[in-house]
Order: sequence, then C-alpha cells, then structure tokens
Amino acid sequence: MEASSEPPLDAKSDVTNQLVDFQWKLGMAVSSDTCRSLKYPYVAVMLKVADHSGQVKTKCFEMTIPQFQNFYRQFKEIAAVIETV
Amino acid sequence: MAAGELEGGKPLSGLLNALAQDTFHGYPGITEELLRSQLYPEVPPEEFRPFLAKMRGILKRWGFAMLPRLILNSCAQAIHPPWPSKVLGLQSIASADMDFNQLEAFLTAQTKKQGGITSDQAAVISKFWKSHKTKIRESLMNQSRWNSGLRGLSWRVDGKSQSRHSAQIHTPVAIIELELGKYGQESEFLCLEFDEVKVNQILKTLSEVEESISTLISQPN
Repeated sequence: MEASSEPPLDAKSDVTNQLVDFQWKLGMAVSSDTCRSLKYPYVAVMLKVADHSGQVKTKCFEMTIPQFQNFYRQFKEIAAVIETV
Repeated sequence: MAAGELEGGKPLSGLLNALAQDTFHGYPGITEELLRSQLYPEVPPEEFRPFLAKMRGILKRWGFAMLPRLILNSCAQAIHPPWPSKVLGLQSIASADMDFNQLEAFLTAQTKKQGGITSDQAAVISKFWKSHKTKIRESLMNQSRWNSGLRGLSWRVDGKSQSRHSAQIHTPVAIIELELGKYGQESEFLCLEFDEVKVNQILKTLSEVEESISTLISQPN
C-alpha cells in the first residue's frame, strides 16, 4: 500500500472564511442632502469572519428590503439542498 | 420662433434623460452648452438657461417628493406573496395610482402658472417620469448608502467524502460567495463556508429579521 500524502480534509482554503458572528439591524433612512424625504427601510449586517489563520475580520454591508428577501430565499434554498446531500 | 422650439417633444425627452443622468446617476460632463447645442441648437443660450433651470427644478422636486411613497410601494410588493392582509393594506395606501395622480395634479398646476410649462411639455415629462422613476429611485438610494451594498450572491454545496485520515464522514458544506461594494467603487468578494448546523442558525436569525421587517411595515407612521 503506498503511502499517500493526502491533504487533511479539514484545511480551510486560503479563500474561504468561517462565519464567527452575524449581527443585524433594521434601519430607516429618513433624509439626506440629496433627498429630503428618503424614508426607506434597510437591513444592515455586520459579519465577523475568521480566515484560515484564525484572524478575525469585520465586514459590514447593507441590503434593501427586496435584496434581503432574495438573501433569505437563497439561504432557504441552500438549507433545502444541504439537507438532501 | 424660439418659444416654439422649446416646446418640441423629442428634444425635451432627450433633455430630461440627460438631466436625470447628471442629477441622479452622477454621469459626468453634462454641461448646459452641451445640452443646448445637441438638443436645442436653434435656441439662444440666454433663453435656454432659464428653460433648463425650470426642467432641472421639476425633476429634482420629484426626487424629493415622490421617493418615499415609491419606496414603501416597492417594499410592499417585495413582501407581498406569503404575507398577511395587514401588509396589503399598505400596498393600497401606497399604490402607484396615487403617485401618478399626484404627478398629474402637479404638472397641471405647472401648466397653469405664468411662465410654467405647456401641456405638451407636461405630457413628455409625465411619460419620462413613468418610465424612469424606478431607476432614479434606486440611484438616490444607492447614493445615500455609504456602507457596502450587497451586489451579488452565489453559492454551491459540496459533499465531503470519507477519508482514512479523517473521522468525518459525508459532511456537506455550503460555500457562499458574497459580492460587496461601495457606491462607485469596485466589488469585494467574500467567501464563506457553512456546515448544515450553521446554515440553520443563520436561517433562524434571518427569520427574526423578517419578523422585524413585517412589524415595521405594519405600523402606520
């Protein structure tokens, strides 16, 4: 039997990160210098992600409500697929 | 006669388009002289200037006034499918008809004013707004967001297979790539790995967010 040097399966590639924390807030933009009466709701997300070395970084982004709906829908799809694998 | 020149439909449509590019979408290089020479070459500059200012003012005023109702309307539309009737109440309040009625009323008032617009011009402006409002609304929203926005999301699910070196058997993993970007800047890609447990944790969190959204939308304010 030849000794094979298999890469350990648990190694996370340099590219993918692990999600450590997911924080969110629902905000309402009221007014701005370009538009006095904005009034649109948005979802702001703060992610804490750890790379392969364990270093933790923070990523923030915002979504409009339709974007959030799509985000949620995609996660439901992922859950459905991952269940069947 | 110059006044007749300013009333034409086609150049006005082009003018509104260019003004929207400049005012809402941040397109550079749109000067008064460029607009005049391209669209209204017969009109002298001193006559074109106040005309341009008038059209620009009308367009900007919509950005201010029309936006909130349009946003609420599109939110209601996005949430509409499986949601209870109390949310649909919002939709009827913020229905598109109300936008257009207000728009027509506003334009009619403008045509009656001294030094206002003609009814032909009003028709062109109305047509322009109906076809462009969504794009303009999105632009205004994007410009006021200074955080990164979510530009795209793609994913795949991998099944890990057994190895004699690892105790793990068949643990599927979801790889999700988020495309993030600030207004006017290049995208940044963030790649995340989730196992089934994590996916379900996130789902639970997202359902809390959705709960919050429906509470917000159903509260009249």
